[in-house]
Amino acid sequence: MPEFLQFLFSGLMVGSVYGLTAVGFCLVYSTTEVVNFAQGEFVMLGGMMAASWFSLTGLPLPLALGAAVLATTAVGVAAEALTFGFSRKPQVLNLTIITIGLAIAIKGVAMMVWGKFPKDLPTFSGEAPLVIGGARLAPQALWIVGTSLLVMVAVRLFMDRSLTGTAMRAAAADKGTAALMGIPVRGLSTVSFAIAAAVGAVAGVISTPLTLTSYDHGTLIGLKGFCAAIIGGLGNVYGAFLGGIILGLLEAFTAGLGGSGYQDAAAFLILIILLLVRPQGLLRGTGRERIVKV
Amino acid sequence: MRLARMASIVLGVSLMLLAGSARAEEVRAYRIGAIFSLTGSGALLGERMKTTVEMLVEEVNRNGGINGHPVKLIIYDAGSEVTKAVEAANRLITQDEVDIISGAGNMSGLALAIKPVAARYGVPMISNAGARSIVEPVEKSRWAFKSHLTDREVIGRAIDYWKSKGISRVALLSDTSGFGTSARDELKLQAGPSGIDVVAWEEFDMAATDLTPQLTRIRSANPEVILCWTVAPSGVLFMKNARQLGLQQILMHGFGYVVPKYMQMAGDAAEGAVLVSLRYPVGEQLPDSDPTKKVILQYNAQYKAKYGSEPDVYGAEAYDGLLMAFKAFEKANSFDKEKLREALEHLEFIGTNGVYQFSPEKHYGLTKGDAVVFEWHNGGWKLLMDATTR
Repeated sequence: MPEFLQFLFSGLMVGSVYGLTAVGFCLVYSTTEVVNFAQGEFVMLGGMMAASWFSLTGLPLPLALGAAVLATTAVGVAAEALTFGFSRKPQVLNLTIITIGLAIAIKGVAMMVWGKFPKDLPTFSGEAPLVIGGARLAPQALWIVGTSLLVMVAVRLFMDRSLTGTAMRAAAADKGTAALMGIPVRGLSTVSFAIAAAVGAVAGVISTPLTLTSYDHGTLIGLKGFCAAIIGGLGNVYGAFLGGIILGLLEAFTAGLGGSGYQDAAAFLILIILLLVRPQGLLRGTGRERIVKV
Repeated sequence: MRLARMASIVLGVSLMLLAGSARAEEVRAYRIGAIFSLTGSGALLGERMKTTVEMLVEEVNRNGGINGHPVKLIIYDAGSEVTKAVEAANRLITQDEVDIISGAGNMSGLALAIKPVAARYGVPMISNAGARSIVEPVEKSRWAFKSHLTDREVIGRAIDYWKSKGISRVALLSDTSGFGTSARDELKLQAGPSGIDVVAWEEFDMAATDLTPQLTRIRSANPEVILCWTVAPSGVLFMKNARQLGLQQILMHGFGYVVPKYMQMAGDAAEGAVLVSLRYPVGEQLPDSDPTKKVILQYNAQYKAKYGSEPDVYGAEAYDGLLMAFKAFEKANSFDKEKLREALEHLEFIGTNGVYQFSPEKHYGLTKGDAVVFEWHNGGWKLLMDATTR
């Protein structure tokens, strides 16, 4: 039983980070229909910037973390403006490929700026583990799960309730009509990137104290986040987060029950099965599909 | 008269040519080619290898060269890429016409790619990477030599250490890279005959972000020591996660983790972590009876005097690799590559990492007695088990 709990904790912790990364994918997809493959790099940037702000400037930890999220958001906005803004053929496929280039560029610059050695951050509230039912839980894991849930709900509320959120979904549903209605479609793409970068940075900032980060950390996190988003449904923030949790649990239990060499294989196997059986994801999309039906 | 003048000119010219060629013969340098990865993923290793060999060549030339021949060093960057490494090897052999290659990309994969190139042209190659297959099977490695241990010796040394402590139950946590799986196979071979019971064989991806599931399994197998085998940052998580789970066992790392920065990152969790490795990192603590101590201290002092910074274990590996080339020239006293190869096959010398002893059957020169065991204590390495020098 304590073993079971231990795997559960590990799965929830790792899954929350995947889930939050997946939420970033959702955000950009819901607005632009583009799968932003640079999402993982925002997670890496958040962690790296926080480590630098903290160790170089001597700012108190919360301030350093905030600065890192802001700086990453700025990078997200700039990256979007410099690529999507100048795209002569702003079609979904072209823009998606641009994001792949963006990911490679961000990774390369990160390597030049920070070097190859990994970076770490102190934990937010100590290292002494909590003992629950015989299993041990790092306090940082609670920060990770809690913050992820909060951010995820906030993003969903923003998309559903706010005027900007509604406009973003409208733009995703039909760019032309949305533009005719006076919605600044171009600007909304920037907004979606800004929020996605911020969400990614938060994921990086909360996970780095436990997992470390380095310039090439974003690639795999991005891939896992993308899987999570596909599992849950690319257009649905709750679904994407759920997908992340499922992926995390799957990894923890395959490793814990003896298949530690097959961790990644198990995750990708589930992805393939899901794509075959339920290609729209576990939960229904909120963007395009829902508005069309209204 | 005219004829005599012509004859004297011809004579004079040919005399000059003769003299010229004689002088050329006299100053013909021993040419050593070096391929290091100075950029890309292996750059962390290559940096001090380059500065170390440059320092050594400068010194040997200042002292009049080897057997009266100066040494010429040509260095190329392999950029941690196989294709670039092969290109560099071809250029070194066909254009620069080097006599020996010492330094083959400082990554096992690159060395394995350079090996057939060196063999095709018949040029001796000295690698300082880890993989065993660079020099084995020896029938297929005629031209390949190595200035480094393999995981066979390091695992063997770890078993020695366990036996000396009366430890018989061991867990292995290795990454899924070539480095990790090779150690896994090696432990499988050696554990049984040595009476070691490996109670858990766990694996993890190099990019893993949480190792608690694997460590939870290891905990239920109840080993006395946990050996982790990786070069990835996740080796830090191994130590942190283990202590977080309340595991009190001895935590061990292999020779890929002699990186003080990693230990500092793991904080308190790294205190008492035990490593098996080459002896360079604990050079100053070695007993005076250890013949390599003098070489290590001299290398450190010389390096610090020239560059104003500390050398590292990778630089020490390149040091030994270049020393091998020097000794081969000295012994063969020839440019003939076959003679150089034979000289390498019978070389015996003392380097920073051990007492090397090559033979036609063994192209890597070190034995498990050349590995030492040390622990991370109060922010530094502390020697636990000496080398047993032959």
